[in-house]
Amino acid sequence: MVRIKHRYLLINILYPDPKSTSGRPATKPGDEVPYTVQFRRPSPDRMDGGVLTRLIRDGVAELFGDYGSGKVAGSLQVKYFSQATSTAIVRVSRDHYRLVWAALTFATRLPNPVGQPCVIQVVRVSGTIRKSEEEAIRRARLSIRQAEAAAKSSNAATAGLAAATPQLLSTEDDDVDMINGIEDPDDPRDIEEDLDDEG
Amino acid sequence: MTPQPSAPGPPRPLKRKDAPSSSNTAGSTNHNKRRKTQVALDASGPSKRKDAQSFSATTKNARHDKRRQTTKDARAISSQASSKAFKNGELDVDKFVKAREYEIKALEQGMARAKKALAERAFQQVPKELRRRTASHNVKRVPKRLQRRAAREMVEDKTKSDRRKPSRHMRLRIETAKRLRALSAKQRARKDAVVKDQGTTNVQSDQRPVSVKSRKPRVKKNALKDPPPAPAKFRKRQIGKSWLPTHLYHAKRAHMTSPKEPLWRYAVPLTPTMKSYRPTHRASGDRGAVAWDMSYMATVSLAGTEQSLQGLLRALGIGVSPETKQLWETRGQRWSLGTRVWEGWLYCRDSFPLQAIAPATVIWCAENEPTSVLGAVAEEKANVQRKTVRKLLIRVHPSAFHQLWDEVLRLAKVQKPQVMVEDLRFEIGSIEITGPASTEALLGALWPNTSTSCRDWPQGSVEATWSSLAEITNPATLPENVLFGFDIVDPRLHHPPRTIAIPQSTRESALLSTLSKWPCDQTQTSPKLFDRNARLKAARALPSQKAINRRKSFAVPGTYPEPKPSDAQIPILLYATRNLQSRNGGQSRAQGTWNFLLPWKAVLPVWYSIMYYPLSTGGQPRFGGLREKRQIVFEAGVPWFPGDFPGTAAGYAWEVREREKRKEDWAKRPRGKRTEWSSVDLGNGKKGEIGDGWACDWERLLTGMAPPTTGKSAEAAGDPSSKSDSVSPPPKLCHITSAAASSLLSGSSPLHNIDLSTALATVTLDLLVRGVPQTCARIYRLPSSSAIDPTAISLRNSWLALVPTPESRRRGREQKQPFPSRLRRDAPPHVVHRQLAQSLLKPPQAGEDEYPVCPGEEDLIGFVTTGNFNLGEGRGTGIGCILLGRVLDRVREGRDEGMKGRLCVVRNAGQSVGRLARWDIAG
Repeated sequence: MVRIKHRYLLINILYPDPKSTSGRPATKPGDEVPYTVQFRRPSPDRMDGGVLTRLIRDGVAELFGDYGSGKVAGSLQVKYFSQATSTAIVRVSRDHYRLVWAALTFATRLPNPVGQPCVIQVVRVSGTIRKSEEEAIRRARLSIRQAEAAAKSSNAATAGLAAATPQLLSTEDDDVDMINGIEDPDDPRDIEEDLDDEG
Repeated sequence: MTPQPSAPGPPRPLKRKDAPSSSNTAGSTNHNKRRKTQVALDASGPSKRKDAQSFSATTKNARHDKRRQTTKDARAISSQASSKAFKNGELDVDKFVKAREYEIKALEQGMARAKKALAERAFQQVPKELRRRTASHNVKRVPKRLQRRAAREMVEDKTKSDRRKPSRHMRLRIETAKRLRALSAKQRARKDAVVKDQGTTNVQSDQRPVSVKSRKPRVKKNALKDPPPAPAKFRKRQIGKSWLPTHLYHAKRAHMTSPKEPLWRYAVPLTPTMKSYRPTHRASGDRGAVAWDMSYMATVSLAGTEQSLQGLLRALGIGVSPETKQLWETRGQRWSLGTRVWEGWLYCRDSFPLQAIAPATVIWCAENEPTSVLGAVAEEKANVQRKTVRKLLIRVHPSAFHQLWDEVLRLAKVQKPQVMVEDLRFEIGSIEITGPASTEALLGALWPNTSTSCRDWPQGSVEATWSSLAEITNPATLPENVLFGFDIVDPRLHHPPRTIAIPQSTRESALLSTLSKWPCDQTQTSPKLFDRNARLKAARALPSQKAINRRKSFAVPGTYPEPKPSDAQIPILLYATRNLQSRNGGQSRAQGTWNFLLPWKAVLPVWYSIMYYPLSTGGQPRFGGLREKRQIVFEAGVPWFPGDFPGTAAGYAWEVREREKRKEDWAKRPRGKRTEWSSVDLGNGKKGEIGDGWACDWERLLTGMAPPTTGKSAEAAGDPSSKSDSVSPPPKLCHITSAAASSLLSGSSPLHNIDLSTALATVTLDLLVRGVPQTCARIYRLPSSSAIDPTAISLRNSWLALVPTPESRRRGREQKQPFPSRLRRDAPPHVVHRQLAQSLLKPPQAGEDEYPVCPGEEDLIGFVTTGNFNLGEGRGTGIGCILLGRVLDRVREGRDEGMKGRLCVVRNAGQSVGRLARWDIAG
């Protein structure tokens, strides 16, 4: 018996337009929300797995026509979608995952009931759902650490202390690495630079 | 997945189909539409027509759906909605972190759940020792509680069941069984009809007394006993051998001796069919208990005046040597009063240190009058002794029974007045049990009889003492060789046994004082097991299982049936022994053993009670076969009779039997795949195994080098037709017991009547380096230090260089690996250098050129009779026999050099690598 082989794409959805997104930074004076937190916003309430499926399907149909949508339709499934973290796991057949990936990459806007500009990153392609789950956990841990570190440093900056944390951060986060050629752009040093610019 | 707007704190799987409204909340997307069409497709089958005739199909479909639903649930990962995670849509570090934490938890739980739901089938949940290879195809192979689930799973994934057509032989048996059943039904119907015809006159037949008066069989004194007649159904299967009382139990669960080759004329369980020895090892030392049916041990009863019994025992070599003379004086008083047992070697008539027969247990019968004779006036005592008839039991291994019987019979006739000898072989059975939970299991199974219907025995009585031992986790903590004799009730009346209440440490001091005072010494009365009438009465009074069941059904639910005065009182003798000569000298770790003797017919009910006793530490006692028995004593460093005593007649017979078996196994293998004995490289240009490779070749050892027919002799021996070696008379080997051997080696008592050239002593072998000795391995001494030959001296020195020093041993233990692991190819140079330096300092390993060769045949001193990996030690050890004459001078010359005199080289048969070891006299 031949096993049906799939690929699981771990996806992050980013919302570049701060005006139309649901998550607004808290507007208390003196309470700066770090860039890391702002960068990864939650999805709007109307966004769900169904919307994501529709987005992919439409995208594939647009890019690859009936051929593409026919190839993808049988196996496409959203295995996991979390609004709060804007993370999703999408399953496709192994032979056609590139079509889906392309559709995701070219997506600029969520479909209609939501209708928001977005950027979709494929951060991991794996053969089993387990591996993509593990990667999602790893990334969640990482972003927790980054957010906490950023919050600490920003607090320190507002308190007027010298921000001497870059080395500390870089040593902590040395486990950000290249996975399948997909780089996580969220380098802590960038955050520092950004913070410096703002300051 | 679709977000749950009302997701609560802990993640929970989505249940889409259970709650149809959830599809509405999820939104009418393509995704859901597709699923709906799928459901509709499924439903287009039988579920649309929900009428009566397709009911089974619908249930099947529903079951399938349910199954699919559960898998889907198991695979679903819960997720959190944004509105839930971020209130008012405000971004915040804290909320951000919380949302991620939730996700991590949800994903981890999802993974765990999916794994559990997917991967495990019913037969995989079964503990390892209960797994069966065919369990995935045959539901009956899994435990009952899992059978339903297993059956369902088989249906669901369409496993083919293992229901084959019965074979021709099987069909014949089924047909016969069917015919027999019909026949018996017809007979029963006829009998019933007769009873009905006779009317009510026969009503009292139900209430006839349980014990039927039958003719008393004549006591056969001084004669061997015939095995009891087997039931007609099993008679054909017991020709030439007898079954143990627990044969049916064991035959279902253990590999037995093959029908054509019984052991000692019994069908003996060899090893349980359960794989893996390690659980037994654990049960015997760490947790649990292991029991054996030892009913094959032979029992001889002697009756006579104390004088003549003493004379007989002395002639058998008990208490003859100056060290053991005390046995007949104050030290052995408890033994001769019947509250202790004695274990030791018996010898042929008046030939004390030579011609050992077998190790045996001797039990005196206590006397009924209060045994305060300890302080009585000696004269009075002597007067009493002269008249009263006393009894004793000798318990010996069946392989040496006939030899002992002849000897005892001859001696009994010589005594004045004569001693009556009775063979109790099929009348008294016995069970042995060891392990930390053994006492507990026995207490659960052996309920002392309550004649007065109250469970309070007088303080200090045997029964009270026995019942207070629940806390004991090692029988060796009891006074040495302590003996109980009392009656128990039929264990079937309290079957299935329940876990006994083990008193907590509050009563510890009471137990300690019991152990130190040991009140049984004063209160032990004459055990009824010595009384033939009591034994017979107990056997006859055992009710049928049917009667027991009836009584049980009358009992209040949840309670055991009330005891009745007419219940059988089963007399037993219970004694605890310990292995004094255990390895490490660690008596604290060595487990003692409970043995008990009881009437042959009562063995089975007691056995079942022990086997089904639920231990307080979990599980039930295990049972062992001969192999487990041997391995457990081997791991304690104790030799096993008869296998480790080739110097006795029984031991030599065992060796010949094993030799034949090993030879057959060897001859069965194809020529290319078996050891070619003639081409074994022994070093120094010598080739060919010494003697027969499959044997502990004592003949060769005694006669020395055979005439130079090197190649041919091996070939001739390999030829199965040459059976001359088994027919040849046994060599004149002579077993020397441990005490005698040690005194001989220390030179304290020169025993001039010992022929040193044939004196064999059993030794334990501790390998100083790696390696596992196997049975039949050859044992060499090191070449003499006073040898003239320079090569011999250099060989000796190179072997001595292998002796690990205390430092190296410590280092090895720290490193936890005797060999450095192979270096990686890109290892840095300093690591390579370090390894090189270490390897230069290390003694040579086997297989390297510098590793010393084995000494020559002139230095052969003996053979390993049992060698194996020792789980207790974590390495290979051995038990062997060596010729004392060949090591005496080495031990004497090496006495001032520490252990050098006792170093030896062990080489497995058919291999050329020798291993350095150290021998020590073993029990």
